[in-house]
Amino acid sequence: MDTTDSTPIPEAPVRRKRGSKLKKSINDFFFSMYQINQFILKFFREAFVPPYEFKEIVRQCYEVGVRSFTLISLTGFIVGLIFTKQSRPSLLQFGATSWLPSLVSIAIMRALAPLVTALIAAGKVGSSIGAELGSMRVTEQIDAMEVSGTNPFKFLVTTRVLATTLTIPILATYTGFIALFGGYLNVAVNEGTSWRTFIEQVFEPLTFVDFTASLIKSIVFGFTIGIVGCYQGYNSNKGTEGVGKAANGAVVTAMFLVFIEEIVIVQISSWFR
Amino acid sequence: MDAKENRRAIIVGLFLALGLAIFIIGVFTLGGQSKSFAKSIHISAVFDDVAGLKPGNNVWFSGVKVGTIKEIRFVGTSEVRVRMSIDENSQQYIHRNAGVHIGSDGLIGNKIIVIDGGSPGAPIVQDGDQLQAAKLLSTDDMMKTLQQNNENLLSITSDFKLLSHKILQGKGTVGTLMADSTMAVQLKASMRNLQIATASAALMAKQLNTFSNTMNTKGGLADKLFTDTTTFNRLKAAANQFQAAATNANAITENLKTTTDKLNSKDNAVGVLLNDPKSAEQVRSSIANLQQATIKLNDDLEAAQHNFLLKGFFKDRAKAKADSIKKAQGK
Repeated sequence: MDTTDSTPIPEAPVRRKRGSKLKKSINDFFFSMYQINQFILKFFREAFVPPYEFKEIVRQCYEVGVRSFTLISLTGFIVGLIFTKQSRPSLLQFGATSWLPSLVSIAIMRALAPLVTALIAAGKVGSSIGAELGSMRVTEQIDAMEVSGTNPFKFLVTTRVLATTLTIPILATYTGFIALFGGYLNVAVNEGTSWRTFIEQVFEPLTFVDFTASLIKSIVFGFTIGIVGCYQGYNSNKGTEGVGKAANGAVVTAMFLVFIEEIVIVQISSWFR
Repeated sequence: MDAKENRRAIIVGLFLALGLAIFIIGVFTLGGQSKSFAKSIHISAVFDDVAGLKPGNNVWFSGVKVGTIKEIRFVGTSEVRVRMSIDENSQQYIHRNAGVHIGSDGLIGNKIIVIDGGSPGAPIVQDGDQLQAAKLLSTDDMMKTLQQNNENLLSITSDFKLLSHKILQGKGTVGTLMADSTMAVQLKASMRNLQIATASAALMAKQLNTFSNTMNTKGGLADKLFTDTTTFNRLKAAANQFQAAATNANAITENLKTTTDKLNSKDNAVGVLLNDPKSAEQVRSSIANLQQATIKLNDDLEAAQHNFLLKGFFKDRAKAKADSIKKAQGK
């Protein structure tokens, strides 16, 4: 069995005598990269190799997706409503309020829906996963699982990452739809636009590239949130402080990576437009 | 525990299915709008300048979206070939002699290709056909026209400047008019006269209006003249008769003239009687002689009645006359 299954990955060896502090930092960074890389590779090995933990995946989908639905729906609705409301004065200056549906759809479908969903999920789900796995590590439940013959990585990490990867795109779809509905309410109240006209105008500027990029972004964000949360929790230090650090690290790192990925994917998708 | 897990699985299943359904509906709606799933034909057009047209922009025909731009690429030296995907359902309305031009979706909207024209007699456009592209009026062209307008405007304002300068100097008719006070007084008088003339003209127009109203009164002579065909026909007949009478009078006048001419001449008996005093004297003498002869004849005839040869005849006639009177009285 792989050592990463049961024991936390060791800290980078301290070599104070051989290099400066900067050198140590660089070494630590690359060692962390190596560890993360190994963690991700292990996930892919475990995800496609039986046995599959379907029940646990469904449970995690419920926890990650269904339990986050209300929060994310409300957030999406408010985002759509506020974005439309705030965009109106600028368009009103040009007498172009009829373009609001197009503007809202581009903003929501291309960027806001996946991004807002990912940020909310990073805060709610990422921290939850980090804290849960961290506390399991601290209380040696993971070790106990290993002793009992259960593969803790497959049961805890693979299921959670798969759940986030699967449900966050679905949540992003809901967010987009509900945000558009919020935008529609604002437009309908102010311009009296019908739902059909609104939908026609919403889809007018969109292309399959937008849909595909948005879907890929959501999948990548979901995977990132899951893998970061699991990595932080699974490799947390022992002690109560480690749980807090794992939860905090999961949120901060996931959010940061989400923005980085957003930039990269937007850049790549722009090449296909 | 199993029931709880089942319930959870169902909720998750519904959650995923609904999300997927929304996503799939979105994809199909988008595909429907961009005609991605509809059968289509491809046509093309070659432009000198596409003005920022991009693949994915719309193609309009009679204001209806019928397709999208699929490809834009250079051909030849600097021309651009635009390949369009046209919905097969719209194909039947587009003819081969239709033209295309680049337009805009609204004042500041996206660039679009507009298909227009085409006669029903021409064949329907087919896959691979190339339509004739109309030259786009570019911003540069507009600027050139604008520049020409500016030059014209400059020329006009220069002329006006010169004109106003001359007017200020009192040159020319307008200048004199503005500078010369006598001219102004005369103009004022002319204007006054013109005003009076205008007032008179207005009054006359008013009277004419009244007159014409009177003429147009229903049943009046003028109205009948203009509207009643029977009266018109009668008048026409009367005029014809007048004309005939005038012709006859003319002829009579001619005859009278001839007669009076003859009466004034001495080459006929009446003329001689009327105009020759010698003949008149002779006629008078003859009449006197005739009177004397008549008296003498009366005397002779009286004497003859008392002659024995004729006395019986006259007695018989007197007796027969007396008998006829008695007979008439006896009845």
